[in-house]
Amino acid sequence: MKEGRRSFLKKTVVGTGVLAASNFPYIWVKNSSLAYAAKGEVKVGVLFSLTGTTGIIEESLNKATIMAIEEINDSGGINGMKITPVVEDPASDPATFAAKARKLVLNDRCVSVFGSYTSASRKAVLPVFEKRENLYWYPTLYEGRECSKNVIYTGAVPNQQQDEFVPWLVEKFGKRWYLIGSNYIYPKEENNYCKKLLADLGCEVVAEEYVPLGHSEFASVVNKFRSEKPNVIFSTVVGDSVVALHRQYRAAGLDPETMPMASLTTSENEVAAMGGDAAAGHFTSAPYFQVWDSPENQKFVEAYRKRWGEDKVTHFVSEPSYFQVYMFKQAVEKLDPSDISPQTIREAVKGVELVAPQGLVRLDPATLHTYLWPKIGVCKSDGQFEILKQSSEWLAPVPYKAYPDQVCTEAGLKQV
Amino acid sequence: MSAVIDEKSKLVINETSKRYSNTKSQIIIYGIVCALIFIVPSFMDNAYLLNKFSTYLIMGMLAMALSLSWGYGGILNLGQAVSFGLGSYCMAMALKLRTVPIHTGAEGLPDFMVWNNVETLPLIWQPFHSLTLAVFLGIAVPVVFAMLVGWFMFKGRITGVYVAIITLAILVVVNLLIIDQQRITGGFNGITDLAQLEVFGFEFDAYSSSAYYLIAIFLTLSLFLALAITKSKTGKILQAVRDHEDRVRYFGYDVSHFQIFVFAVSAGISGLAGMLYTIVMEFASPTFLGVHLSLSIVIWCAVGGRQSLIGAMLGAIFVVGIQGSLSESETFLETWTLVMGFIFVMVVLFLPKGIAGAFESLAARIRQKN
Repeated sequence: MKEGRRSFLKKTVVGTGVLAASNFPYIWVKNSSLAYAAKGEVKVGVLFSLTGTTGIIEESLNKATIMAIEEINDSGGINGMKITPVVEDPASDPATFAAKARKLVLNDRCVSVFGSYTSASRKAVLPVFEKRENLYWYPTLYEGRECSKNVIYTGAVPNQQQDEFVPWLVEKFGKRWYLIGSNYIYPKEENNYCKKLLADLGCEVVAEEYVPLGHSEFASVVNKFRSEKPNVIFSTVVGDSVVALHRQYRAAGLDPETMPMASLTTSENEVAAMGGDAAAGHFTSAPYFQVWDSPENQKFVEAYRKRWGEDKVTHFVSEPSYFQVYMFKQAVEKLDPSDISPQTIREAVKGVELVAPQGLVRLDPATLHTYLWPKIGVCKSDGQFEILKQSSEWLAPVPYKAYPDQVCTEAGLKQV
Repeated sequence: MSAVIDEKSKLVINETSKRYSNTKSQIIIYGIVCALIFIVPSFMDNAYLLNKFSTYLIMGMLAMALSLSWGYGGILNLGQAVSFGLGSYCMAMALKLRTVPIHTGAEGLPDFMVWNNVETLPLIWQPFHSLTLAVFLGIAVPVVFAMLVGWFMFKGRITGVYVAIITLAILVVVNLLIIDQQRITGGFNGITDLAQLEVFGFEFDAYSSSAYYLIAIFLTLSLFLALAITKSKTGKILQAVRDHEDRVRYFGYDVSHFQIFVFAVSAGISGLAGMLYTIVMEFASPTFLGVHLSLSIVIWCAVGGRQSLIGAMLGAIFVVGIQGSLSESETFLETWTLVMGFIFVMVVLFLPKGIAGAFESLAARIRQKN
């Protein structure tokens, strides 16, 4: 019996060794030539968290994306082909984001993936899209300074949110600025650009402060507001901290009339969480607000409420989530079905224009970012914004605007 | 009176465990499982699945490491992910220095440092220019860290739930430090955009069988290393410490040495697993040493059976696998977390010794009948 077991063990080990050895040099062939559009359908991935810490906001992006796909399919699809969404829940975890992105790209052979809210999750999935030559559609405003050829960026970069906003605030309120942000790359980059604009306008930055992500104790910060008496508080605080900051500012009895907070991150969504009273009187710059008066936006907001519930709000990340699916449609429409692939879609989407809820937008061929319509809104106590100003023309995206010696081109990043 | 019964039942348990977990049959079972792991790529040429199974194996390795300290040493380490994360950051730092930063155009300096207005490479990054040194550090840093923590805890005769609390607190502290020191660590975003691991001109593509075999080899090695430890005299003493710490102390052993030893070995294996994880995930993130992952490891161990190395390993593979396929299936998209919770509750209620424990008692029953 003993001998039998041993020889069995030997055999197994040897057998496995042989099997393993015969397979060792085998390396998976990249980009095998299976057609992407088959059986009259185009498969796309939808990768927004439905659970976890950013689940609530990302669910609204998922809903906007799904609604756009349903609308396109109901009106005949793309050249008769249906868009088939493959929905995954990355659970607000970067590692799960990467794993699900792999599934969508490699296993489901999606031709594009719509997804991500946080920069951390975008950075986690980037290697998948860059090494596999696929296409990721990212709807969120972000810090810029990225020039990937495998991402379509439909949210705002710093110059699109700040070029109009900062001079307007300086003229209206004054030159002493207090910069407060969450401690990670997005606020730092926004502030890098803001400081540059302020320096050109001869303004003074009285403080630049970063609080940990998720920070909720702003008493000392509010005290500093009181002692420094800045004219403008420039806030790039994100997430739940936005809610805490606004509430504690209000509880301290500070006055938005003389010391307003100017934010790049406070949307209808955050306002709904903190209550309109806490947000009233503060300013936000974004390409889209729910109250924007245009036939396209009216249609978007109505459809959204009808599909997902009367209490739901649209905001400046859900709007790009919605229109970028239509950009995808226009790009695929130009292609022969046998010719559809992530690369051909990227080439076809360059220069695409469409009337989005915020206005006529265009995809910049060089940077793969989007021409947008910056607007300045002041928050009202009913939780909606009043739009005070819209830029007179669409604003080109310049992801490296704070760094004049670098330019994002069609061929990649160039040093000037 | 009750003590006598206790002693008697212990004897019976010892008898049974002697009979059914004897070394030879264990080696055979472990060998078969490892062999199965090695065969997998032979009938799978799907890059996605290979990559996915690679991550499962790493989680298995991690659970196995915890079972070594928890199941055999009685040390419930809720901060197992610390060593995992430290290992993964070591590998990520080495691979980051081997990549060309395409988004910043700054030569040599990792992109996130440019974003944080860092001008020169920090001193702590310098050793990672050498891959050999990085691999060494990926194991040495977690081991030394665990020895330090272990020295403070076990010399101070801290046991039981307090060990769990301290290790959990340390996990949170290290996690916060990494997120906060973003000029060095990449903060919340982690370290991304890494080069591929290349050793002697051989590339370990995260999607290929080469990376899979790399992981399978290290998993097998560490599994048998752990098994050897449990079978050694040290292992026996450890188990004695687990069951009756004071008695072992009365015998004249310095209990803390054994605890520090197993704590450090477990950390070393986790560090190795962390390095492998960076290779297949192609990034490192502070969530790798998050509370969520760390507590998941405990659950995997509990499901698989913490007093069996291979049970814990298979438990991890089983749970992560179910989790993956549930969350990917359309029917469970909304409810997969609920289903997972249900499975855990059921295991804890009806299989208190995990899946491995269930198999063992099944085997015991069959033998009794014969």
